[in-house]
Amino acid sequence: MSSAEPFVPEPSSAGPVQAVAAMGFPSPARDYFDGGLDLNQLLVKDRVSTFIMRVGGHSMQSAGIYDGDEVIVDRSLPVRHNSVVVLSLNGQMLIRRWQVNGSKTGLLCDESPIPVTLAEGDEVSIFGVVTRCLHHVR
Amino acid sequence: MSGDHVALVDVNNFYVSCERVFDQRLVNRPVVVLSNNDGCVVARSQEAKDLGIGTGEPFFKVQRYIQSHNLAVRSSNYELYGDMSARVMELLGRFGTWHEVYSIDESFVGLEGNLEQVRTTAAQIRASIDKSIGVPVCVGVSSTKTLAKFANHIAKRNANLGGVCVSELMDQDVLDKIMSLVPATEVWGVGRKTGAKLAGMGIQSIADLKASDPLAIRKKFSVVLQRTVFELNGQRCIGPVEERSDKGQVMFTRSFSTPVRTREAMEEVMSIYAQKAASRLARENRYASLLTVTAGTSRFAKGEASFPTTQVRLRRPTRDPIVLTRLAIAAMNELMRPGVDYVRGGVILSGLSDTPGDQQLDLFGEAADPKEQESANVSQVVQNISAKFGAQAIGLGRAGIAQVPDWSMKREHISQRFTTHWDELPVVKA
Repeated sequence: MSSAEPFVPEPSSAGPVQAVAAMGFPSPARDYFDGGLDLNQLLVKDRVSTFIMRVGGHSMQSAGIYDGDEVIVDRSLPVRHNSVVVLSLNGQMLIRRWQVNGSKTGLLCDESPIPVTLAEGDEVSIFGVVTRCLHHVR
Repeated sequence: MSGDHVALVDVNNFYVSCERVFDQRLVNRPVVVLSNNDGCVVARSQEAKDLGIGTGEPFFKVQRYIQSHNLAVRSSNYELYGDMSARVMELLGRFGTWHEVYSIDESFVGLEGNLEQVRTTAAQIRASIDKSIGVPVCVGVSSTKTLAKFANHIAKRNANLGGVCVSELMDQDVLDKIMSLVPATEVWGVGRKTGAKLAGMGIQSIADLKASDPLAIRKKFSVVLQRTVFELNGQRCIGPVEERSDKGQVMFTRSFSTPVRTREAMEEVMSIYAQKAASRLARENRYASLLTVTAGTSRFAKGEASFPTTQVRLRRPTRDPIVLTRLAIAAMNELMRPGVDYVRGGVILSGLSDTPGDQQLDLFGEAADPKEQESANVSQVVQNISAKFGAQAIGLGRAGIAQVPDWSMKREHISQRFTTHWDELPVVKA
């Protein structure tokens, strides 16, 4: 007998695994099965306002956010002191920690331990608040 | 007055606004979005409108503004616009007692409450779409759809209203004055042709149309325009607008980015478009009785001109992709001249009905073809697969190839498909 390749089913991400219909005796678990775990349920509070973005750069590691990770951004959430946000600064999309000190606002990242204070004339608009980071472990 | 009101919500400069969500460099700057194949302007930012750039203007005519006025140009990114539209529509659905999607960027929404409550809700809708999705909308509220459209028109042209106009909260005098100043062609459903005919009867402004005799309008025009007159007077009579491709046809014709000159390439074109048209019919649960195939050379080319176009009447209404593909290929094959540079082509299905052909008729035609039976099964499979895995997953004939054919759309200035493709996510700098 030849050593055939083991059968590997095609992976699918099209939602939770469905229960298999038993042909003989009905499965005693049938009445208890109402779908598997859906990651959307855990990660996305409101899909209308949720956007996914990819991180490029190494300066948010203290927040657990690494180069190449995907972050989940919710536009509908209020920005608070120390929120990690995606923002546009003079046309560039950045991920930073938002700091509010009295009337001053600043942006914090690993490369500038003292928050960069926004200057007059800087064009800033906050895209949304980062709620989760999908870190690549391997 | 309390009760049920109609809001018309639409996104300002929708395509441009979608692009701006992901690229702030486009804010406060003239931006245009180009049609399929980067042919002409289909959407403009306010700044581009202010430059005098019109809709439908050929791209080459506005190109000079890139240098002189920092004009930004984008190809149509329908994946992005479609996803952003779906978000807007879902959010709108949460506010209304009912919700009708009218187009990619326009919806009618039913709002309940007294006028002040309704104004508050309208403002909330606007703020919520701006915050959660990032695109600006205008909201017009009134007692009928036609008047809600008009209120939206007012909201859009008067920045001081903050994007919201509840016409029933306006002074009647002011409203009458505006209606007497705005031409009737600005009314929803009144086109240029109708407008010209109305003008001939002395009906120039919206106020004129509102005051006209509905019976006379019905006699001279149609019951549709009569309804418009009723609606202008506050009487609700336009029901749900059906969401359908259009009056009676499904059309897939496009310009090619590189000319098609061989039979093989043309087969590919016909087969892809026939299948797209068939799957549109399947989605809408309709059947076609007439298939038109068409292709053409460029008017500006020096070579041979050729405009092969023909119609195939189908033995009975069908939406079978196999039948339609086979017929489209055969018909075009006969007409086209290989070696000639075709720059556009496609498939049009018309004579649409909600039921397939009467089986009885077949008794007098050819006997039920076993081949056709078999094809029905294959078609079902193809339809199921493309419904499940997307239109690119499977195809008949030459449409089954995975690689993008080289004649397909030219989109040189396209932004990323930020919200629908994992490999095109926006990158944020850490």
